[in-house]
Amino acid sequence: MKETPQEKRIHENMKAGVMCAKGFLGSDTRHFHEIIETDAAHLQTLGYTREEVADRMQALTNAAFEAFMGSITLEEHLIVEYRSFRGKLTCPFAHPGGFRKGSVTLQNTRNNITLCWTPLNIHMIREHGFFEGHGSEHRLDPDILIKALFN
Amino acid sequence: MEINAFIIFIASIFTSNILLTNFLGMCSFLSVSKEVESSVGLGLAVVFVMTLTTALNYVVYHMVLVPLNIVYLQYIIFIIVIAAFVQLTEMMLERFSPVLYYSLGIFLPLITVNCAILGVSLFMIIRDYSFLQSIAFGAGGGLGWLLAILALAGIRQKVRYKFVPKGLQGAGLSMIITGIMAMAFIGFSGIVVIQ
Amino acid sequence: MITTILTTIAIVGGMAGFLALLLVVAEMFFANYGEVIIDINGKRKLKVKGGSSLLSTLNENKIYLASACGGRGSCGFCKCKVRSGGGPLLPTEKPFLSPDEIKDNVRLSCQVKVKEDIAIIIPEEIFNVRQFAGVVSKIEDHTYDIKELTIQLTQPTEINFKPGQYVQLQSPRYGKIKQKVSRAYSISSSPDHTDYIQLIIRRVPDGICTTWVHDFLKEGDEVSFTGPFGDFFIQDTRADMLFVAGGSGKAPIKAMLEYLDARNSTRRMGYFFGARSRKDLYLDDLFATWEKSMQNFAYYPVLSQPTEQCEWNGRCGYVMPYFDEFIQDVNNTEAYLCGSPGMIAAVVKYLVSKGIPKEKIYFDSFA
Repeated sequence: MKETPQEKRIHENMKAGVMCAKGFLGSDTRHFHEIIETDAAHLQTLGYTREEVADRMQALTNAAFEAFMGSITLEEHLIVEYRSFRGKLTCPFAHPGGFRKGSVTLQNTRNNITLCWTPLNIHMIREHGFFEGHGSEHRLDPDILIKALFN
Repeated sequence: MEINAFIIFIASIFTSNILLTNFLGMCSFLSVSKEVESSVGLGLAVVFVMTLTTALNYVVYHMVLVPLNIVYLQYIIFIIVIAAFVQLTEMMLERFSPVLYYSLGIFLPLITVNCAILGVSLFMIIRDYSFLQSIAFGAGGGLGWLLAILALAGIRQKVRYKFVPKGLQGAGLSMIITGIMAMAFIGFSGIVVIQ
Repeated sequence: MITTILTTIAIVGGMAGFLALLLVVAEMFFANYGEVIIDINGKRKLKVKGGSSLLSTLNENKIYLASACGGRGSCGFCKCKVRSGGGPLLPTEKPFLSPDEIKDNVRLSCQVKVKEDIAIIIPEEIFNVRQFAGVVSKIEDHTYDIKELTIQLTQPTEINFKPGQYVQLQSPRYGKIKQKVSRAYSISSSPDHTDYIQLIIRRVPDGICTTWVHDFLKEGDEVSFTGPFGDFFIQDTRADMLFVAGGSGKAPIKAMLEYLDARNSTRRMGYFFGARSRKDLYLDDLFATWEKSMQNFAYYPVLSQPTEQCEWNGRCGYVMPYFDEFIQDVNNTEAYLCGSPGMIAAVVKYLVSKGIPKEKIYFDSFA
């Protein structure tokens, strides 16, 4: 598929070993546009918007950030923990600024789903609707993500 | 053909507009007309390429193809000349105007396959224009293309903040606008007709 | 028939070849920018060959601006003020610059092409930054995810830095990783040792550089880095020093304490190390030794999530409440913090509420 030089750069950024060791595409061979479109359609059927999902993730991340030394339990069934690392990640879509390297782990004790994301993921979901490719380290499948966040 | 070169120049801008009358060069026209600034940039690049390639192709046709009796090669040769020339234009743009170079992105090399460019060269051959007429035709064709894309960009900018039905958003409405513009340009045919 | 085919091929080939040659000549002409002058801070003038990016041109002349992505335009670290001659602002630079920076003519040096005489302003400390080559003489495992490297310098053989500064270590292409990157790590050894440096490196999941260090790097390997960078220093006063760190944030603190120990400093010092459980503690014996050898040093490890296996009967929870054990005079206390941004924010808030002025709280802003 024909890509503009900018899209090519974005695609390169997403491959393994450029911005992070495993990349954002995992074992997915689809173009990132396709991944975004498919996930967007899926998200619509589940009844949530990107902003709602991103806001919820941000709220949980903020709470965990304050409790920097361990995990905290929110709303009785959500255990969130924030581990931070030095340095900043930039958005593969060439957005301004860096995003803290932090790893947020969410464990939903009601349905036993454990997920992990970074502040960059929240930005990519909110601004680009990008949940990462199948098989990627931080792939946030809309199905599983919504079950973990809202159930 | 005995038409005055200047008349050809005027006619190819308005009444025989390569885009609105012959409907050539539509793809980059529809994509780049989202923004007025890049439309101007691309339009000027097209004027430059169209004028000079028409002249070059005239020279190549009459000095190389006709004497050697291989006029059937005109399609291949014209495209090769256009491709090389666009590459040259890219180099010059990167050197002298990097901002424009980056904002045009992939649409610069896409000028090569802009059918309007090849179309103008081929029309020049079919209508058997002289050298001066060819240059006038090339320049006029380019300016006509620039005028059309500028008009569409301006209209699209206004339409951006108005309500458009979902099915017509983007290319749909642009095509309707282009059609209406084409009909409007027929109104110019009172000035002069060359085809 | 044959002649027609041959003529056709000859003509088409000839035309294409001629045009290609024309393009090659044109490129040589257009891409050649000749020699230009880079004026640095109005004091130094460099005569260089134009055509490359400002970042790489400066690097070739041994001036190293910080860069984590190696000049690809994706990290935004290589900012530099261009007074004149940088050309128009490119769309690839805009995402990384604030409106104030754009007004101030700050540019991304990896995107600015040196095409004409150019005048730039860079901070004086950059001149002390060099490219170093060294050999890994020791890799020590401190915890399940922290290693300390000792790098013996080979070229040049000496380094000059202040305790608290960091270097940018360059990771090579390895395994599936096709790019070189550089990442910042604080120096954990004292500057009194000019022929080697030590770095404390914690594994970052999915990290490019730390995965290389933890899984691929071996003793005897060659490494390269640039430095020193940073403005996290020991303030030259007589005030009490409150150190707070967590995880690999211990590195600059260790460098500072080693430096102070060598000078038999009599300043009051307290180091609060916050960790989750026992397995995150390391170098405890070193700090215990310092407690004995230094006149006024106390070490306070605090665990926030000790498990039963820890058998911990020391301090638990957050570090802040324990500051009271150390702080005597809030007007004569300086705080040095290095760790996660969450920790730094919480500790700063607490210290300010206790009455320690914000200007006396120093932290390594990288974490």
